Amino acid sequence: MNQKVRGASLCSRCDEPAVVFQRDARRHLCAVHFMADLESRVTDTIKTRRMIMEGDRVVVAISGGKDSTALLLLLSRLLPAWQNVQLIAITIDEGIAGYREATVKAAEDLAHRLGIEYHCIAFPDLFGDSLDVLLKGRETLACSICGILRRKALVVAAQRAGATKLATGHNLDDEAQSVFMNALRGDLPRLIRNSGADSKGRFIPRIKPLSFISEKEIAAYLVLKNAWNELPECPYTRYALRREVRSILSDFEYRHPGTMLHLMESKEKIERSCAGPLFSAPLRTCRTCGDPSSGDLCQVCLLLRSLGR
Amino acid sequence: MKLILSDHDERIIEHCPATVEQILLEAGINPLDVLVSRNGNLISEDTVVGDEDEIRVIRIAHGG
Repeated sequence: MNQKVRGASLCSRCDEPAVVFQRDARRHLCAVHFMADLESRVTDTIKTRRMIMEGDRVVVAISGGKDSTALLLLLSRLLPAWQNVQLIAITIDEGIAGYREATVKAAEDLAHRLGIEYHCIAFPDLFGDSLDVLLKGRETLACSICGILRRKALVVAAQRAGATKLATGHNLDDEAQSVFMNALRGDLPRLIRNSGADSKGRFIPRIKPLSFISEKEIAAYLVLKNAWNELPECPYTRYALRREVRSILSDFEYRHPGTMLHLMESKEKIERSCAGPLFSAPLRTCRTCGDPSSGDLCQVCLLLRSLGR
Repeated sequence: MKLILSDHDERIIEHCPATVEQILLEAGINPLDVLVSRNGNLISEDTVVGDEDEIRVIRIAHGG
């Protein structure tokens, strides 16, 4: 018997062996139908949520890891069919020794292979030092500090590139983890924050075209596209709350398929119920850098001050 | 059956035939956290593997 078929379930749409089993839909898909299904769902997410419009200049944040690699591959494949949309790939090099070198190279190689304009911005150019230096003695706060600075770096990079949209590779697992973490912290304003909303030009809207695709599906897509790279893991993830939440939610999703999607749906329902001014204080301007801020100083300037910068 | 883990550790699994899912659970691995290939081809977790098979586990979760 054919080695590929032996013991395998067959695709729900043809007679080829299945490469994935979608547990919530109870559906088997072969390589061809799985890739077509995933591409169609991403297209659907972009269109129904009006993430990308004609004339958009979309900056794609690409770390070189699997999610952003899949995002760039998918957008470069799907967007040529749309009118007058331009892609620019941008990497933020935080300066994490033994980790970022390999992922930056992977990101640059991919962008060049796809013929997409590429830029890399490094922490020292924006904040004076690498993340490794900024974190000395504060390693347990790594993800919080890096998150704030990386978001700022992305915004600067997107502004420099003249972006009208900023696309990130957040997947369903990431988004469900964020909902769960914000609920655990009791952080309702952050839970309902919608960074994709129209802010009347004060922010570049963020879009997350992979937010309804699971991490496992993204990995399978990359393997099938021969784009899977074994890359090192960030040395600071061992300090992250997200790591614990990821494990808890993954166990829950296995035992109760659909859990992550339900979390996303809950977030959207809460977001709709809280629409309006309930939690959104009027925006001010940071007195140090001039960025939009909820207080006298923005989060970045507060952080840099606490780091002695 | 030979099971090759993501850290390149190799284990011989007896009691085959069994599904990939059963083998992963016995090894303490959540099937959602990995992909599995046989002879370089991805297989779904309900694929039944036999004594003669060699399957490779690819860990998918990476921070950063």
